[in-house]
Amino acid sequence: MTHVKESNSELVTQHYLGKTSENRTMYYLQISQPSNKTKKIIWMDCGIHAREWISPAFCQWFILQNYKSDPKIIRFLQNLDLYILPVLNVDGYIYSWEKERLWRKNRSSHMNGTCYGTDLNRNFNSSWGSIGVSYNCSSDIFCGSGPESEPETRAVAQFIERKKEDILCYLTIHSYGQYVLTPYGSTTKPPSNNEELVGDENFGPLEIIAKFTGANENAVPILNLQMQVAGKAATALMGKYGTSYQVGATSLILYSNSGSSRDWTYMIGIPFSYTFELRDKGTHGFVLPPDQIQPTCEETMLAVTAIIDYVDQKYFPSGGVILTSGSLGLSLCLSVVFTWTVF
Amino acid sequence: GHKYYLQFTTEDYRSRQNVGNCLATVFYQKRKSPPAVTINCVDTKDEKQIQEEDNTFYQKIKQQTKPIIASDIPDSYGNIEPALEPVWALAVVGSSYIMWEKSTENLGYSMAQVKSVKQWIRKDDFTEFDYTVLLHETPTQEMIPCHMRVIWLPGHPLKVKYFCAPENQLSEEASGMESGSAAGILYEKEENF
Repeated sequence: MTHVKESNSELVTQHYLGKTSENRTMYYLQISQPSNKTKKIIWMDCGIHAREWISPAFCQWFILQNYKSDPKIIRFLQNLDLYILPVLNVDGYIYSWEKERLWRKNRSSHMNGTCYGTDLNRNFNSSWGSIGVSYNCSSDIFCGSGPESEPETRAVAQFIERKKEDILCYLTIHSYGQYVLTPYGSTTKPPSNNEELVGDENFGPLEIIAKFTGANENAVPILNLQMQVAGKAATALMGKYGTSYQVGATSLILYSNSGSSRDWTYMIGIPFSYTFELRDKGTHGFVLPPDQIQPTCEETMLAVTAIIDYVDQKYFPSGGVILTSGSLGLSLCLSVVFTWTVF
Repeated sequence: GHKYYLQFTTEDYRSRQNVGNCLATVFYQKRKSPPAVTINCVDTKDEKQIQEEDNTFYQKIKQQTKPIIASDIPDSYGNIEPALEPVWALAVVGSSYIMWEKSTENLGYSMAQVKSVKQWIRKDDFTEFDYTVLLHETPTQEMIPCHMRVIWLPGHPLKVKYFCAPENQLSEEASGMESGSAAGILYEKEENF
């Protein structure tokens, strides 16, 4: 195989994904170090909800990183290709710039043009239509006329389905709330995983929301590998500006919802599927002040690279020095805050 | 019913500095009625400094020569004009009264944006504002417009009157909860920013 000369334009290529409801083209970017190795894939999408502007801003930031000189990125690009969809809900995003800042859904037309928009993150085929949705088009959580009824959903789902054997990690970026969310939204049953960790994982000063087994002093949190990795990401993020994220399953931290992209990718077998909810916690919400854009992107970058690093080390172990983003050389107090609510 | 035990801190939205520690219990005995709440907070911020900051905000408003009239605070890009920051902050406080009354075990709120504000100049020292605010409701994800009138003078109880657009029939919480009633008048203890 020929060696291709390194340059950003050869690292980053644009590819057609599909069309939106208003017939706009959806493109994803592939960041790939040319080589004869077969690579595995990390997928990240932003902007599934129109008003969450910090999300496409982050994807854009991510793409503009220096892939030639950052040693961490160079290392994982040897084994992993990054597929980035900077704006999934193009129609909705444009609508939120031009017409209604706080629009959330896509712009598909219903009821003879009297009602618009499906919540794309309720439209995937993961327990579709079962909980945390509305069947009424006027609602901001309208799940659509059926699973994958929306062209945007189909474009993403069909692509990921085709490539699922090679996709190790699925990241979907939202705002706001400051969470790293693990499966599931549609049920509170913890995802079954043959790598369960119980009890003594040191999460440092992070806040983990988990279900318990046992009672009182004998109660032990049910943790899993997904949460451990999410915890590493949140710890890395907090190291930058002190921003604190909560980690846990959507159905425990937030609320129940079905048809989310993250649940769907996990259900079809992508082991590390996460939803990020970026800054802030409600003070400004969707309308984040401009001076927070860069810090949010910088800290989130650390979280995402922590996850990619982990995946890289797990599936492509090297004989050399093992860097874990958790080993910051600090001994953090073992204080894990558990909260649980009576349902 | 369901009883919740809460431990939380409050922080200054600008400096992210801790300003208070609170312990509370919230008991939802019957569905569709307000919960029984006990709460105890300890201010970690100095009382004098709180009063100073309130007064600074108050002076900024009083210095305006014409009634303040504005819309979209923050604007789409997240900007808040420095002169309008106290007006925004006052909307946050006023909205918190609305949210206190509206929140249920299953519905929560944040103030998303001030859509419009108009100041009514008064002969006395009080400041008075008419707002339309958008409340972000979870988990429905709806934006609820509320009309809100706030009357404020540092050192005096904040007065808030409001009327929110009625819940539409499709939400799980029946629209009967709002009972179609008009403004709710609320008198509360002195509020600090």
